[in-house]
Amino acid sequence: MVVGLILLSIVVLYLPAGTQARLAEGLQSTVLRPFTLVQEAVAQARLRAESALELQARLDSLGAVVATQATLAEENRHLRELLDLEDRIPETFVHANLFRPGTTGSESMFLLDVGTDEGVQVGDPVLMRSGRVGLLGMIREVSREFSIGLDWSHPEFAATAMTSDESVFGLVEPRSGDFRGGDRLLLTAIPYFERLQPGTLIVTSGLGGVFPRGIPIGEVMELHQDEGQWQSEYWLTPVVLPGSVTHVLVAKSDSSLVRLFEMLEGEAADSSVSGSEGGGGP
Amino acid sequence: MTRRTVLGFLVPALVVLHFLFHVGFSIQGWAPDLLVLALLLAAREVGMGAGGALGFTFGLLEDAFSWLAFGASALSMTLIGVLGSRTRELFVGDSPLFFFAYLTLGKFLKDLIYWLVAASSVKGPFLETVVLHGGLGALYVALVGLGLVSLFGGFRSLS
Repeated sequence: MVVGLILLSIVVLYLPAGTQARLAEGLQSTVLRPFTLVQEAVAQARLRAESALELQARLDSLGAVVATQATLAEENRHLRELLDLEDRIPETFVHANLFRPGTTGSESMFLLDVGTDEGVQVGDPVLMRSGRVGLLGMIREVSREFSIGLDWSHPEFAATAMTSDESVFGLVEPRSGDFRGGDRLLLTAIPYFERLQPGTLIVTSGLGGVFPRGIPIGEVMELHQDEGQWQSEYWLTPVVLPGSVTHVLVAKSDSSLVRLFEMLEGEAADSSVSGSEGGGGP
Repeated sequence: MTRRTVLGFLVPALVVLHFLFHVGFSIQGWAPDLLVLALLLAAREVGMGAGGALGFTFGLLEDAFSWLAFGASALSMTLIGVLGSRTRELFVGDSPLFFFAYLTLGKFLKDLIYWLVAASSVKGPFLETVVLHGGLGALYVALVGLGLVSLFGGFRSLS
């Protein structure tokens, strides 16, 4: 029996990823469901306890965006009528609460309280807005009521990227720090002759189709090293620090996302919250 | 109260508290690994097969949130359950010192096995993960275990 149990646990370790995911989901939605419900309740309580002043400031900020875009929206609607185009998909973002299980091996992953019922799909980008909107990670698995995502510190994370002025293209990958929480982002595959200045905003390029174009990822901090004679690498200061996130936006696949990023980024730059270059795009 | 009665209450309670702290309240570093503590307490009372089965079950529950190394907890805790049961035949310990050493080594060994079987791309540096965090975590679990056993009637009646 002992040998059988050890063999069984080795089999579990080497099961295909899909089977492991189904097994995990089965346990999460049955035996462990009461604990995730407690987690949701705690998150809701924390949300209600957030500073009313901060929420009011965010409301004012959003109100200003809506007010300034009202004319544009009306113009857009009129042009769409003239061109006989269909209405845009009304919901582009889904708001979600983020939970992190504190168990061993769950680092770099998170749970969201939204699922297929809200239209969330595997591969949808997960964003967070704190001053400026930025890329946190992506959805990896979805069930009806909740979804599982990985943040940018996960070893499997990678995003094709470019400078916000679309002049230089590369690839952003995580690098483990000397300790947990010290993970950093590295911009790789930059041509040697291209030199990036500290503070340059790096956004997703949309190449490869994983992330939509234009989502801010980080700002150039310093040159890491030259890869031989031909390419350079740069450390980035991430726009979103995964450990601080409790509420996120899941971006549904939609071509209108780029415009929304520009709008949100433009507002962030105007209010000078980040104090760095705006990256609002054209 | 007999030793088995105490453990029959304590072990399930520790399992529930472990998931309540780690999942329900998302406490990561400050909450001790009560799942390993429950396993080590129970393993001293059962045979190797039952110890292994208990370890496998506990490990699989832990793995439900372990997307980076699914199965690593199941394997490491199965082995700890088996080894913990084996210690009953090898060591007849009922002193606080033995109990402290048993819990410390048990938790440290669990973290070591976990580190060994987890994929290389996801595990942290050995010194930081196993020696530093593993060592401190093991001492923490042992201290909590000592406290609980004292609370429930001392070492002679429980361990």
